Amino acid sequence: MDIRLDGVGHAYGDFEVMRDITLDIPSGRIVCIVGPSGCGKSTLLRFIGGLERPTSGRILQIGDPPPDCLNPLTYVFQDFALLPWRTVTGNVSLALEDHRIGGAEAKAIIDDVLSRTKLTDFAKALPKQLSGGMKQRVAIARALAVRPAVMLMDEPLSALDSQTRELLMDDLIGLWTRTPFTAVYVTHNLAEAVRLGHLIVVLSRRPGQIRQIVEIDKPLAERGYADPDLEDSQKQLWMLMREEARAADAELIDA
Amino acid sequence: MTTFNRRQTLALIGAAAAAGLATPAIAQNRKVTVGALRFTSHSASFIALERGYFADAGLDVELKFFQAAQPMAVAIASGDVDYAVTAVSGGLISLADKGAIKVIGGALSEEPGIDGQKILASDAAFQAGLTSPAQLGGKTFGMSTAGSSFHYMGSKVAAAEGVEMSFKPLQKVGAIIGALKSGQIDAWSIVPHIAKPLAGSGDVHIIGDIADYLPNYQVTTVFTSAANASDERETTESFLAAFSQGVSDYNATMIDRASGDEGVDQMVDLIHKYVYTDRPRDNAAPSIINGTMRLNEGAALNIASVRDQLEWFQSEALVDEAITLDTLVDASYVNTIDA
Amino acid sequence: MPDATLAATPARDKVRAVDFRGGGFAPKTRRWVGIAVFIVLIGFVEWGTQAGWISALTLPKPSDVLATFGELYASGLLFQHLGPSLTRLVVGATIGASIGVTTGVLIGLFSYIRAGLVPLVAAIFPIPKIALLPLFVIWFGIDEGSKYALIAFGTFTPTVVATYGAVDNVDRTLIRMGQSFGLSWFSIVRKIVLPGAMPGILSGLRISLAIAIILLVAAEMLGAEYGIGAYILQAGSLYDLERLFAGVVILSILGVIVSAAIGAIERHLLGWRT
Repeated sequence: MDIRLDGVGHAYGDFEVMRDITLDIPSGRIVCIVGPSGCGKSTLLRFIGGLERPTSGRILQIGDPPPDCLNPLTYVFQDFALLPWRTVTGNVSLALEDHRIGGAEAKAIIDDVLSRTKLTDFAKALPKQLSGGMKQRVAIARALAVRPAVMLMDEPLSALDSQTRELLMDDLIGLWTRTPFTAVYVTHNLAEAVRLGHLIVVLSRRPGQIRQIVEIDKPLAERGYADPDLEDSQKQLWMLMREEARAADAELIDA
Repeated sequence: MTTFNRRQTLALIGAAAAAGLATPAIAQNRKVTVGALRFTSHSASFIALERGYFADAGLDVELKFFQAAQPMAVAIASGDVDYAVTAVSGGLISLADKGAIKVIGGALSEEPGIDGQKILASDAAFQAGLTSPAQLGGKTFGMSTAGSSFHYMGSKVAAAEGVEMSFKPLQKVGAIIGALKSGQIDAWSIVPHIAKPLAGSGDVHIIGDIADYLPNYQVTTVFTSAANASDERETTESFLAAFSQGVSDYNATMIDRASGDEGVDQMVDLIHKYVYTDRPRDNAAPSIINGTMRLNEGAALNIASVRDQLEWFQSEALVDEAITLDTLVDASYVNTIDA
Repeated sequence: MPDATLAATPARDKVRAVDFRGGGFAPKTRRWVGIAVFIVLIGFVEWGTQAGWISALTLPKPSDVLATFGELYASGLLFQHLGPSLTRLVVGATIGASIGVTTGVLIGLFSYIRAGLVPLVAAIFPIPKIALLPLFVIWFGIDEGSKYALIAFGTFTPTVVATYGAVDNVDRTLIRMGQSFGLSWFSIVRKIVLPGAMPGILSGLRISLAIAIILLVAAEMLGAEYGIGAYILQAGSLYDLERLFAGVVILSILGVIVSAAIGAIERHLLGWRT
């Protein structure tokens, strides 16, 4: 299943935040969206997931999601959004309960995703007992449990320290390599974008428009920490964005 | 030997007491606070103030009004009020037991032949057959609190009729009236100026007189702090003398009608300054006249009735059994009636 | 090297440890102090009343209060009073709190209900419920009905306010998360909103139940022959300070028990809190 954004624009009254975004998200690829703060990256992600409606343009699904898919468009949030009163298992099973999956079937799914995210030993732990990286693993496990057609990841690593971020990036690459999935990955961190993205969409400052789409050919599995090829791409991206970021930074809020 | 009936006895005692009490040396403009409720039964204090009897006795009296007898007793105990008139209640006896107050005289009395307190039945209970106190068995009887005068009256009536009632504490007279009118309780007893208008409305029926059960019931007494009774003898005597003059005026005008209708009119004008002030005078007059009950001449105290009340409170375990009549009463100020 | 010169220049002056100034302002558990305060206070009153410089009119002897309490227990009257009071408390508070929680959740979830009921709740919150007692007697009868109603009404308003505040405070990102996983409306309410609001609801209940105990005395003003409140009111009108204090102590103990019970529920239900 592919996703197509067709002339998406958005405004709050007279305040235009996004203009004419047309973009294809091909199946099996990770598309990273980067841009200066306030360019509407996260809003765009909420449009794709159907949590908000754009004022103009359309979001289209092309083709049917795979038959075993429970929740085609599934989010991973920046602040994890785990239910603090449920254990790791409970949080993962939350996503399954409304799909009338229980008993052995649910257990098999949960065991599978927990082992894929290396959480098997933490199945009974409460979120308050987990580190930030573990919490985000739980959120990823929960997302995987519903076998999404597209994962919508909203700055999933921004709340973590840089070492944990590296570890989780390795994990995400490992997950994708074993079973490729489609993802839209919003971030302001260019290092993450070049590590994880097959396509990197650069947005301009408000009103957000597509400035450029950069494709990185190097297979995910071959990209590593401090990879010189990636450093180049990252530098290139930064040159593209630098002025936009400076201008966005100097803007008054609500001016 | 001449036999006196009770009325005559009281009048004689009163006259003697008034004569005896009028003599004390005039106190020197002492400031005195007198507690009162806005009831006609407190008229003696109003008259003594309005007609200058207190001033003549050298007392600079300030009236302090209360909503209920209970806080007035507390105010005496705390020293905020010097003298007041109220019914004997468990609270009053307990305060006396704690050495805070003393009963020094009598005021309102039940007297056969004069309209006294009425026994009331709610309309619902009346229609269901509660037409005389004999049918009170198993009924509910309203009272302000356990150990109040309502509790005493109800118990005495029930005992005399040989029946059992349950008593409902409702704290305030207003609440009891509401409960009686709406049939939440079956019966109650109250002074005539409240009983008669209630019966007139048809929601409530008068089924008997308290005087038939407690013929010489000393309804209210004059009391003061124990310190006043023992240490301020002169002031206390002055107060009682002036108060007694008020009592005489009240009885003479309102009961014996010594100055005819004109006298009653004047008295009603005076009392209306303090009682039913929220009603126009013409509206208030019938209630004031209806509420007339005899006050004891010379503030004489019916010690027999007080003893009976004390014993009843003790038998109900509402107050300590060890309390003696002397703890409650200082009988050295006024004449006492032991019948 | 400039970094090295920086370290070398101000040397040779006197050397001393840096003053510590970070003490205090960090409450620690000192369990026995509370009990000690009680003991000292009661001991002081006992001494004063025994010695006579606290008059019998001012305060009763604590030992007499204890004796009164003993008599109350021995005569079986304690349970005759406690039974009806606890029934009133449980029935009234259950009705008030359950309607309150339901209403609070509805206010939290539906804009129209919020718009309609929040001003109404704000209007009835400051009414002294005791003032309405005579009205309740007409509506619900002088027996148990009016007492349940008074306690229920008194617990209702604080529960509503606490509950809708708690629902408002449920993390919106959790609700968004529920929606993003395609949970039904009912599932979101049951699995996200209610557990998320539970801390606020329970701390609201702490206040509501204390109010219920206060209102117990008021409820027993009208037409109660038995009950802790009736017992206290009677003791007050009889000026029996020993019984008055014995009754007040019972209410205090009741308050402590209720508070401890809610504490236990909180530990059980809210163990997930950090």
